Amino acid sequence: MQEVFQLLFTALQISAVYILFSLGLTLIFGVLKVVNFAHGQLFTFGALVLSLTMGALAPSLGHGWAAYLVAGLAGLAACLAVGLVIYQFGFKRLERDMTGSFILSAGLVLLFEGLMLEVFGGAVRPVPALLEGNVQMLGLMVSRQRLVLLVFAVLLTAAILTLLRYTRFGKALRAVAIDYEAAMLQGIAYRRIALYGFLMACALAATAGMLIAPVAAVTPTLGDAYLVKGFIAVVVGGMGSIVGAVAGSLLIALLESFVGFYFDPSIANLAIFVIVMVVLLVKPKGFFGND
Amino acid sequence: MTEYKEWIGIVAIACALLAGVAFGGSYIGTLVVWIAIAAVMASSLRFVLLIGELNFASAAFFGIGAYCTGYIVNHADLPFVLTLALSGGLALVVSIVFGGITLKVKGPYFLLIGFAFTEALRIFYTRMEALGGNSGLVGIFPPAWLDAHYQYFTTVLCFLLILGLLGIERSHLGKIFIAIRDNENVVRSVGNRVFFTKVVCFAIASTVAGLAGSLHAFANNVISPLDFGFMLSIFALAYLKVGGEDSPLGPVMGAALLVCVASYAQSLGGNEHILYGLAIVLSVLFMPKGLAGLADLLRRKKESVA
Repeated sequence: MQEVFQLLFTALQISAVYILFSLGLTLIFGVLKVVNFAHGQLFTFGALVLSLTMGALAPSLGHGWAAYLVAGLAGLAACLAVGLVIYQFGFKRLERDMTGSFILSAGLVLLFEGLMLEVFGGAVRPVPALLEGNVQMLGLMVSRQRLVLLVFAVLLTAAILTLLRYTRFGKALRAVAIDYEAAMLQGIAYRRIALYGFLMACALAATAGMLIAPVAAVTPTLGDAYLVKGFIAVVVGGMGSIVGAVAGSLLIALLESFVGFYFDPSIANLAIFVIVMVVLLVKPKGFFGND
Repeated sequence: MTEYKEWIGIVAIACALLAGVAFGGSYIGTLVVWIAIAAVMASSLRFVLLIGELNFASAAFFGIGAYCTGYIVNHADLPFVLTLALSGGLALVVSIVFGGITLKVKGPYFLLIGFAFTEALRIFYTRMEALGGNSGLVGIFPPAWLDAHYQYFTTVLCFLLILGLLGIERSHLGKIFIAIRDNENVVRSVGNRVFFTKVVCFAIASTVAGLAGSLHAFANNVISPLDFGFMLSIFALAYLKVGGEDSPLGPVMGAALLVCVASYAQSLGGNEHILYGLAIVLSVLFMPKGLAGLADLLRRKKESVA
């Protein structure tokens, strides 16, 4: 029983990052009808900038909360700037051209990965842990670091969901995702909403990357594994669906931690793939897809 | 008239490459084989694009062909031609099963499943001890009687495959493919079996990719799981996009240009990924019809002036 709880907690903690990641993917798909492959690169870029800034700040600020906060803001700003450039000069020109913009994002993957390898090098850049030690909770041993990560991710997800559900902006964004022409007829500024949606997704990717940085090996290829999982989560949940992204991420994380523990991690990856095939056979648009 | 121009263009490039093998050094010969195989991959990708789907699983079928060849050479002593045929056959069988399940979905779903399939297979190779695990398979040599002529053989076979794909595209079946891309409900309403036709298209393209994989394995002698990740599909996409996807000549031109430039850049210590990435991004933004489209545009301008 103890084991099951421990695995459940692990799944919850992995899924927190997957949710942030796939929310970004599904947001971009919703507003732009674009499959953005370069999302994983923004995730990596956030983590890399964080680790670089932390290193630079270490002499004056140490490794405390202040350094983490400043570095986090730097990472966020850097990713937003890159996102803005990609949108203005790239995706905006290929509005709603699924194949074209997908090819563009695939090109961006190669370009960014190559550039990051050149600039940052292939070596692992460790980010110091913010908190040390473990806490005993409900009979489980949980590292403080991962607990903070989980709490932060849950709060952020809740904030995003509230934003999308109850604010004017969120309603406009969902309207655009359902039918952008009808939304424009209602006086919603489609272009502006699309830009904000895209930037929000970039910020989510950067945040997810920076949250995972202290517990992962930060290299220029960090995002690749998350990209596959994130896309599978979105496909299973239904592209463009917010609930779907959350449900899909939870499913993937559960499979990964349970199958990974009882069998082995690469069997878990294969199992995830089999599940996707089965889901697509039964529900070709994913569980919550409607487009 | 334009129909024949493309045949002529493809055959001309093939002849140029063969001349390269004949008169160039061994390095040129290797480069020509890379170009020929890359051109087949890009043509296979373009073939599925005829029904309007981007087939990211093409890297997976390339890998299936290569691993089937590697396994046969290492574990069973079969004739060369049979090995080649079996590799293509395995890709065919797998693609019918995979296509039969996944072609029910369209657009982004199909694309992402292909992507996931490629990654799942890559993980599968690393897990299989019989397939060499992480380090892959070695010692895949063409038979002695062919060894001296292998570069000619590969180049000729690759271009025959490309011409075969073009032949199908120009046939009645090819017209149905394009009609499906334009509006599949119309195609269904006049009594064509849309789903079946899609699977046929996918299976043909995948078989060709499998054969290319087999040729690659013999040419390279060594294969490892890392060669068959989704990056391979993105490379094929780069050839296609730079060359232009509207013309059958496009993927061949794109492959020839990019493989040469990448090889030159690498000899100068450049980074292959940056180059390919930049090539894709620039062609999507500034040259949406690719090199073939650019050539077309120039010709039309000349005609309008004259």
